[in-house]
Amino acid sequence: MSVLRPFKATDMFKFNNINLDIWTETYGIGFYLSYLSRWPDLCCVQEAPSGRMMGYGTLPFPTHTLSSQLNTPIPVLGKAEGPGTEWHGHVTAITVAPEYRRLSLARKMMSLLEMVSEEIYKGFFVDLYVRCANSIAIDMYEKMGYSVYRRIREYYGTLGVGKGGKDEEDAFDMRKPLARDVNRRSIRPNGRDIIMSAHDAT
Amino acid sequence: MSSALDRQIRPIYDALDTGSNKSAIVACNKLLKKHPKNDLIKALKALALIRSQKVEESLVLCDEVLETKPTDDAVLTALMHVLRGLGRHNDTVTMFEEAFKKQPSNEDLGSQTFFANVRANHWKSAHQIATRMFKQFHDQRYLYWSVISAVLQANDATTPSTMRPILYKLAHRLLTSSPTPSYVNPDRFYLHLTILLELELYEEADTLLDSDAGKSICATNLSCNELRREIWRRQGRAVQEAERAEKLIVEKKDRNWLEFLAVLDGVLPSSTDSQLAEGDVTQKLKHVEEVLSKVQEEDGLKDRSGPLALLELERRARIHGVAKDQTRMLTLLQNYFDKFGDKACCFEDLKPFLKTEDDTLGLFRASLESVPTDFTTVSQLIRLINSFKILRYTLTEADITVEKESERVATYAKYYFDALALGAGLPVTELQPADDLALLAGNALISLWQLTGDDKYLYDAVYLLEFALTKSKQSFLTRLILIRVYRLLGASSLALEHYRAMQVKQVQHDTLSHLILSRASAFSLASSGDLTLASECLESTQIYLSNSQETGDFVVRAFTAEKYSQIPEFIKFEERLENSLQRDTVKVEHLRMRLSHEAITSDLIDMELIELKFIFDRTRYDNRDFNILPDYQPRVSSGLNDQTLLFGKPEGDKWLSAFLKVYIRAFQAASDLDDTVEEKLLIGDRPKQTADSKLSLRERLLQKDEEELDSLTSEEATFLEYANALVNWIEPYYDYARPPPAVVLAEAAKQTQLKTGHPLKGVDINPVNGKKEQDSPAVTDAPEVVVKYFEAAKERFQASLSHSSPTQALHTATIIQEAFLLLVIETFRFTPTVVKLNKFGLLATQFKDLRTASHDVLKDISSSLKKRAEADGSSASKQADHASKALVPTKQTTNCVYTIDDGTGVIEARQWLDASNEDEAKKWEDIQEQQYVRVTGGLKSFGKKRYVNATHIRGIKDSHEIYFHILEAIAVSLILERGAPSSAGAAALKKTEATTGGMSAYSAQNANSTRHDQYAHLTELQQAIIHFILDQPPREEGIHVAQIAKAIGANADDARKIGNALDALMDEGHVFTTIDDSHFSVSQ
Repeated sequence: MSVLRPFKATDMFKFNNINLDIWTETYGIGFYLSYLSRWPDLCCVQEAPSGRMMGYGTLPFPTHTLSSQLNTPIPVLGKAEGPGTEWHGHVTAITVAPEYRRLSLARKMMSLLEMVSEEIYKGFFVDLYVRCANSIAIDMYEKMGYSVYRRIREYYGTLGVGKGGKDEEDAFDMRKPLARDVNRRSIRPNGRDIIMSAHDAT
Repeated sequence: MSSALDRQIRPIYDALDTGSNKSAIVACNKLLKKHPKNDLIKALKALALIRSQKVEESLVLCDEVLETKPTDDAVLTALMHVLRGLGRHNDTVTMFEEAFKKQPSNEDLGSQTFFANVRANHWKSAHQIATRMFKQFHDQRYLYWSVISAVLQANDATTPSTMRPILYKLAHRLLTSSPTPSYVNPDRFYLHLTILLELELYEEADTLLDSDAGKSICATNLSCNELRREIWRRQGRAVQEAERAEKLIVEKKDRNWLEFLAVLDGVLPSSTDSQLAEGDVTQKLKHVEEVLSKVQEEDGLKDRSGPLALLELERRARIHGVAKDQTRMLTLLQNYFDKFGDKACCFEDLKPFLKTEDDTLGLFRASLESVPTDFTTVSQLIRLINSFKILRYTLTEADITVEKESERVATYAKYYFDALALGAGLPVTELQPADDLALLAGNALISLWQLTGDDKYLYDAVYLLEFALTKSKQSFLTRLILIRVYRLLGASSLALEHYRAMQVKQVQHDTLSHLILSRASAFSLASSGDLTLASECLESTQIYLSNSQETGDFVVRAFTAEKYSQIPEFIKFEERLENSLQRDTVKVEHLRMRLSHEAITSDLIDMELIELKFIFDRTRYDNRDFNILPDYQPRVSSGLNDQTLLFGKPEGDKWLSAFLKVYIRAFQAASDLDDTVEEKLLIGDRPKQTADSKLSLRERLLQKDEEELDSLTSEEATFLEYANALVNWIEPYYDYARPPPAVVLAEAAKQTQLKTGHPLKGVDINPVNGKKEQDSPAVTDAPEVVVKYFEAAKERFQASLSHSSPTQALHTATIIQEAFLLLVIETFRFTPTVVKLNKFGLLATQFKDLRTASHDVLKDISSSLKKRAEADGSSASKQADHASKALVPTKQTTNCVYTIDDGTGVIEARQWLDASNEDEAKKWEDIQEQQYVRVTGGLKSFGKKRYVNATHIRGIKDSHEIYFHILEAIAVSLILERGAPSSAGAAALKKTEATTGGMSAYSAQNANSTRHDQYAHLTELQQAIIHFILDQPPREEGIHVAQIAKAIGANADDARKIGNALDALMDEGHVFTTIDDSHFSVSQ
């Protein structure tokens, strides 16, 4: 139960209750404006009936794949090869204020953004990065239909706690196939064992 | 251009790119000897000059090149940057327009001209250019550019309201002429709908919306769907909308609250302002109830929509007088609480329904009283907290007494300590589920302070909340209350510490800096002392700079990407930030601090006068966030924000206007710049005036405004009276003595010529020094208000010393100092020569008397404040021990105080004990008196007394450590005295740090490494790029990719990798391209 609406530039004046939480970073205005100037329909907000912001999310498509998408003809389904099948949405920010957690808000925002990725941008899959140690989040994403595609070494800076060791710095690249990925190439059972360096993953 | 010359110019670009402006100037000079007429070299030299802050010289060159009306791309680009640096946006527009006129077939030049107009908000010319470009180049996008330019012109505040419909009609006509339909692109479709909505062309809108393309856009695009909803609403199609929404809810399981509201609107409007729909309401009500009940059943605990919609339906039924069952509201409330009482947002969800006047509320309260108070799970705890919050919110005036509030504090605190056990195992980064109980207690303690005026309650709030912070280190809500309370107690440095710990960044400065900077000059009194607040002012205003530098670029980007839904939003955002109330408030606050810390010179007065005049007339936007405070006060009270405001008066637009008037008038009376001089000397555009300007500036300055007076504290109001009397008295004398504009200009021209070798344009350098025609005005006695001000203020100050919090005394002292400074400013120009020349001898004597008298008063105040500070230091710490004992029932104390002496000085170390962690307490048990220990912790100050907030204390076993300490103390003192070691050493240190991963005790905290922490998640290469860009001197056009490659890469393969890394960084929004695709800057 919440209002689902587009993220607007002026929402930056309202997002303190979300962004003062340590897990959410506040970037320069350029960060938000650059997404909005390219993918406005992939940026959304959940709002309480009182008008208080509860959370927001963005799921842009990386630009370099966009240019390859525009310059090369869209590959025919089924015999997909080359950069076309890499055409996907990437969850860059999904965040919910502390007082609104455990209300499946993230799930609702994700399903909207996945729907737009599917129907408007015709992506093959949606992906996101998560700390290997963050098992709660991994569980949640698995329930939403994501699975680990690969493990990226030292993707995150250390939190300084050091309890999780490698699991803390490494990231799982989790993917969820969309309808266009007929052959389910974005799923592989041994994803957790496929390790890449952060350098090669980008 | 010959290729030889081209080769010679390249190094100039390189020099500019690397920030070596000096060598760029040298290279330009060398080339200019051979090619004295080359515009590009001149333009580049102008750019290098402006970047070296040589404004006058740059100006001369820039104007020289502009006169040739250049069309060359490189020259135009260079000049664009020069003009940006000079703040001459209007001239940029003219330059591109001239160039485009000369080469009308150059499409790129057309776009540049269009963008120049967009940046300067010249919508009318932007519209004309886009229209012309569409005719000439036939690209659809230009047509849409012209359409949205017309819309933006219509929306602009400077456009008369009668023009609005005309412009929208024009936009509509243009759209209709488009050969392709708007629905090929959601953003074009969006623009089309906005226009139809404004013109109320609903039939046409319906045709669009009912088409298949329209339907599919609305189904996937939230923005377009928002517009569709509005268009339907305006047509009164609530019933139809309700049917659509119901279908979505039932069939698609859509749980967007907007759909539920649509269903409710179909039966009952949200307020009694609108009429009930025709037809059988009872029948419809029943149907909606059934639908919602079904949703409620289906969703169970998964979604709150059903139960909440039923509550809202009942609320509406009540206000429309169609509710049948008076007990239904109670049942629904209880039902909701049963289901979702264990969700943190339950209280907020129910708030709108807790305003009923009948006995529903009483009964609901009674049922909440019986919520079990023993808890073993977090869910049970949250349920209890929600019941406390609701019970507190619905208290009546009669319930808010000292006795009852004290009981509540005890209850909240008791359960808080009990509930800590539930979060015992949480990692330090997590929040304790019990936090809200501490916040509730904090609210109740503040309420007690309001009731009694006794500061001891504020101290109690501090102890409890500081303790809560040791348990929940990331709780920004706790910090928010602490910031407010510390300011009330006059402990501004502690407030600042908490504010900084919240890591307020970027745009948050605009919405949150009010927490720490409103009336901050009261805490920035001593000129030798604390400059942190002044620097906080500067830091918080960085965001306005990045707004003016960046946002325009993104507006241009949105045009290029045809995101028409975003363009008006971006412009609104830019405008709200540019004209932010907080921005100007901080400006004035900083000025007040500056005057008390810096020497008062004519330069300072002149510059500040111009700036203040610029901001005086702005229409300001209040972006400040007050909702962020955890307000759990009863709804009959004035709320936490009002209760904890410094002096009970917010700093708003009216406050700002009152102070702007005081300072503009004071500076005018002390400046040689009058309007004619300012007009001649001003470089750059004037700000757009949005305020109604039928009155002259002087008339507006003299306008009296009752609301302004109301927004001031009584001390400030007295000050205002004094300031007006003072300036009214002095003004005529300086008006008479002020040198004529021609003389001032000639002096300025002389200075310019000395610097640049060129005379100032349009200024006669040898003016006739005309004799003054009138006699000098007769000297009158200083007004009584001025003469008596200081003595009276001193008495008020003495009286304020009796308060336990020093805040009021500081406030009075600051204002008295401010009054003294005004006197200094306004008498500053009356030098002995001026006095003699104008026969102002009598005036000078009076000035002297006033200055002496006020000076004595200030001296007295200063010594009383010092005494007070010493006395407070000791009493505050005593109180601390006492009260923490009272609040923590389980342990004897929460903190221990050690007195530590290292031979150079004595300081207290305060150690907060973690009551729940027995091991930790044991570790420190073996510390004995007269033993060497090592203390690690942060330096804090409380009531002007410094102490170490110890996080760790251990006994010293190795005697070398004592020598180490002595060396460390010497090193740190030297760094503080003489600055950090030279950069080479620092760089080496940085390297060792990076490799060893540890912090050297000797290196001053490395600003770079902390600044870059946010990039730690990136790949090495990406980090290297970001760090490289950040390490370069900041420049508007960013860093060229070649430079990055040169610094980071080694071979061709690297170049490709760097390209990819930059792409990836752009996708994540860390970097962005600036003037073209090969210049990058880091978004911060």
